[in-house]
Amino acid sequence: MNLNDLIAIDELCIRYKVEYTFIRSLSESGLIEMIRLEQTEYLHCDKISEFEKMHRLYHDLNINMEGLEAIQHLLEKLKELQKSNLQLQNRLNLYE
Amino acid sequence: MEFIDYYKILELDKSASQANIKKAYRKLARKYHPDLNPSDKSAQARFQQINEANEVLSDPEKRKKYDKHGKDWQQAEQFEQAQRQQQQQYGRGFGSGGQQSYSGNFDNDTFSDFFEQMFGGGARSKGSGRSPQYKGQDFNAELQLNLSDVFTSKKQTLTVNRKNIRITIPAGVENGQTIKIKGYGGSGIQGGPKGDLLITFNIVNDIKFKREKENLYTTVDVDFYTAILGGEITIDTFTGKVKLNVKPETQPGTQIKLKGKGFPKYKKEGQFGDLYITYQIKMPTNLNTREKELFQELQKLRS
Repeated sequence: MNLNDLIAIDELCIRYKVEYTFIRSLSESGLIEMIRLEQTEYLHCDKISEFEKMHRLYHDLNINMEGLEAIQHLLEKLKELQKSNLQLQNRLNLYE
Repeated sequence: MEFIDYYKILELDKSASQANIKKAYRKLARKYHPDLNPSDKSAQARFQQINEANEVLSDPEKRKKYDKHGKDWQQAEQFEQAQRQQQQQYGRGFGSGGQQSYSGNFDNDTFSDFFEQMFGGGARSKGSGRSPQYKGQDFNAELQLNLSDVFTSKKQTLTVNRKNIRITIPAGVENGQTIKIKGYGGSGIQGGPKGDLLITFNIVNDIKFKREKENLYTTVDVDFYTAILGGEITIDTFTGKVKLNVKPETQPGTQIKLKGKGFPKYKKEGQFGDLYITYQIKMPTNLNTREKELFQELQKLRS
């Protein structure tokens, strides 16, 4: 794993002005995946958009951790449905 | 330019208190926030309106001005502009409010021309109450291509935010598919990673075949006698003509598969889907007397 692609959790706490416990809770709820390398915890830069989304929902919309879990679950379902809808629409072109 | 009723957008009456404005804003933001409505452009547009309405109504100064001029804002604008210029001469710029507005990695900073005209470009609140950002903004773009264009991988130059980006569009990309080009979004903030460029493809079918994923479909006319007695026909595939043997007694609607004559498989170089051909039997018309007699003979043989 390329270290340049990893952002230290301590750095995230500073940049986003959040407590370490918030990020820990996101990780424990399975909402983000923390990577531990030699005593330091990181977030992969590809996952930062997900982290930012959770941060916005939690801090801007006052949604608690349980709410975030439920939302994430529903968003994943929505994503699958949107994908399936698109496939069906593309398939429908065969009959038009 | 049309007047925008910010009270209507937040579903409030004109006497709404600041607490009610905040409450209404939060309620609507939870409903239309782009994070909760992925790929929903109408929700995003509504959210931008809600953000803009809140920007005005939650700032006492802006609300006062908005209430004062109402629908006559355009006439009042000329007078206000003169006043603003006068104020600027004395070094007193337009202050920005400290109200909360929700942010995100999406284009929520697009305020209406009405807002820009009434309050000026620098009037929107900056920073206060917004989620801090570290990663650069993701850019979303739509690219329309013909189906024939995506039969082979090709390089294309796109202009995103006045920058030219040369990308490779892989063969076999699908209609509605989004590809991510890492690091081609907005610049990161204070050393943060760059955002990404997300391109969604709108593929228009300009060929005579229908496509589903990597397979192509077409219907071919076969004359009655070839269908009955069998024979050879030549058909078009995407890459050229192919000769086919039609079996005797071929029924209408018979489907055959030409393996590997379909569309390229996405990101599987050298692999292709199949071409499905449905036979449509063309019945003879304008039969002469002799032909009719022969068909009647055939009919007798069958009855």
